[in-house]
Amino acid sequence: MKRSKRFEKLEQMPINKDGFAYEWEEVGLVCMESPFDPKPSLKIENGVIVEMDGKERKDFDSLDKFIADYGIDVSYAEEAMAMDSLEIARMLVDIHVPREKIVKICCASSPAKVTEIMNHLNVVEMMMAQMKMRARKRPANQAHATNLDDNPVLLCADAAEEATRGFAELETTCALARYAPLNAIALMLGAQTGRAGTLNQCSMEEATELELGMRGFTSYAETLSVYGTETVLIDGGDTAYSKAFLASAYASRGIKIRFTSGTGSEVLMGSAEGRSMLYLEVRCLFLTKACGVQGIQNGSINAIPLVAALPNGFRAMAAECLIASMLNIEVASGNDTAFTHSDFRRGSKLMMQFMPGTDFVTSGYGGIPNFDNVFAGSNEDCDDYDDWYTLQRDMKVDGGIVPVKEEDALAARNKAARIIQCVFAELGLPEITDEEVEAATYAYSYKDMPPRNKAEDMKAATTMMDKGTNGFDIVRILYENGFEEVAHRLMEMLKQRVIGDYLHTSAIFDEEFRVISAVNDRNDYMGPGTGYRLSDERWARLKEKYSALKPKDI
Amino acid sequence: MTAKLDAIKDYPIYEKRPELIKTQTGKSVDEINIENILSGKITPEDCRISAETLEYQAQIQESFGNPQIAANFRRAAEMTRIPDDRILQIYNCMRPHVSSKEELLAIAEELETQYQAAVNASLIREAATVYEERHMLRSE
Repeated sequence: MKRSKRFEKLEQMPINKDGFAYEWEEVGLVCMESPFDPKPSLKIENGVIVEMDGKERKDFDSLDKFIADYGIDVSYAEEAMAMDSLEIARMLVDIHVPREKIVKICCASSPAKVTEIMNHLNVVEMMMAQMKMRARKRPANQAHATNLDDNPVLLCADAAEEATRGFAELETTCALARYAPLNAIALMLGAQTGRAGTLNQCSMEEATELELGMRGFTSYAETLSVYGTETVLIDGGDTAYSKAFLASAYASRGIKIRFTSGTGSEVLMGSAEGRSMLYLEVRCLFLTKACGVQGIQNGSINAIPLVAALPNGFRAMAAECLIASMLNIEVASGNDTAFTHSDFRRGSKLMMQFMPGTDFVTSGYGGIPNFDNVFAGSNEDCDDYDDWYTLQRDMKVDGGIVPVKEEDALAARNKAARIIQCVFAELGLPEITDEEVEAATYAYSYKDMPPRNKAEDMKAATTMMDKGTNGFDIVRILYENGFEEVAHRLMEMLKQRVIGDYLHTSAIFDEEFRVISAVNDRNDYMGPGTGYRLSDERWARLKEKYSALKPKDI
Repeated sequence: MTAKLDAIKDYPIYEKRPELIKTQTGKSVDEINIENILSGKITPEDCRISAETLEYQAQIQESFGNPQIAANFRRAAEMTRIPDDRILQIYNCMRPHVSSKEELLAIAEELETQYQAAVNASLIREAATVYEERHMLRSE
């Protein structure tokens, strides 16, 4: 065939470097609307669920049982299940129906029922519903800070810059697992240097992550993965019961957590039981509810290249984030994994959570270059800050972060680097030189940093953990070495664990360590003039564009 | 006996009912300050959330319509009495294919008798039964 020059050019566009596939419902390679999903049902006898989504209690696996026994409000289930799914779908976009009413219905529904409701909604309706159903009234955002070398000085400076930009939470992980304590400390110091009250986590294997929290090096945890089939949950090294126990272990130390799940993970791990990705994700959300965990990170996360390859991918991801909100669960709504070569496409994906707003619009904006992102690269990186800010300005939308001046970012980075230099010296960790402090202040990536002796760093990290070093030691060091303000902030974060107000749904802190959660900042959206509206002060910050012309320039 | 706390009236507890919050060692939250940390008057052992505080936070969630979170906080309240390393060990024992039924039941017994952790004990007993039915115990 003689080729069309236009078709030839199209073939070379970034979008056509992405992978695509047709649905294969029988094995679960389908985002939603699968003919193989169960029909909704709940039968209750003497307050016990004896049938759920067409399966009898005697056939329940451990996940079915846990959800049926702990995840569903049986006192209202008959009324909820009797309602038409289409009717509930319409209530989601009806401004006269309050959020609480829908939460009550969904918390008393079966997983298949909630899935069926979603099948009635198009993406604009889902976005409208997301705006209403988000648990916390004001939206917020989370950032990733990592680098390929696990360089603690750079990590600390990056965290400080991100906190200055207003991210409510920061997340790190390690290229090499033995770096975990150093990365956790670096992130914590940077977070509190940049903005008081910024929450921080270090994503590691479950037991390590808990230990870092117990030491006072992290203030929340997120990497507690759950899956929607029993087989995959077990392959992931957990059961519903072990996860529930782990959740309470964190709360018993005053540490906030959320679970992580996402469409596509079960089929990727080879056991989708022939169900749609969305149905299995809904089971994860009910498991989260059943464990009494306040929040979820979802929106496909690691499986997004697969979900986005199929029809309805973005729609299913919008649905899963929305369902979390409908179950009154905090949602950190993905947008944290690179999945496409097309800027057009990655921006459009983001808009589905950015425009309505979620508790955390991304569960990891890469405040670093993509190649430095140890979480396999985010959907947004440090090169995209001005795009993000401009979109907030274009649409008068609060995406959770604010523009900062270069001199302010540099000042925060430099201070953070000096602070970690001091903490390393006082803890007897390998020296951080003035040259490294200078490099971290101005760096773009790990390539701009003088290399460190990694073997020595990791050995020192182990020794430090063996000695029992904890958050208090660091408070003392900071105070005694002239960093009183950051010492106070670190102490406040430790104090919050005794109080427990931030264990609640969608909790974050403002700069005065006042907790803002779904309990005291309830989303009361009921149409225009209600819900979250930008204050004049906030809008003035969001519309700041340093390069824009001012009337006096014209 | 304090009346049950209410999400609207009493939350955030530190702002609205600060007198209710004590550390695990019975100190007031405001004693957690730099001076006391430097002098050693406040140690990490003081800076632990108490079972009472978690019970208050459970009441907040109950009145906020989240009985499951309240139940989680009540399990957590019991766990404040269990040392860090023991919690980590028990968690690992609850992972699939790690423990025998007898081992899980022994942990439940320990939780009940040593730590007055009846709610957690009952969770682990239930797990032991379910693990047996679903072949999630350690295969010998």
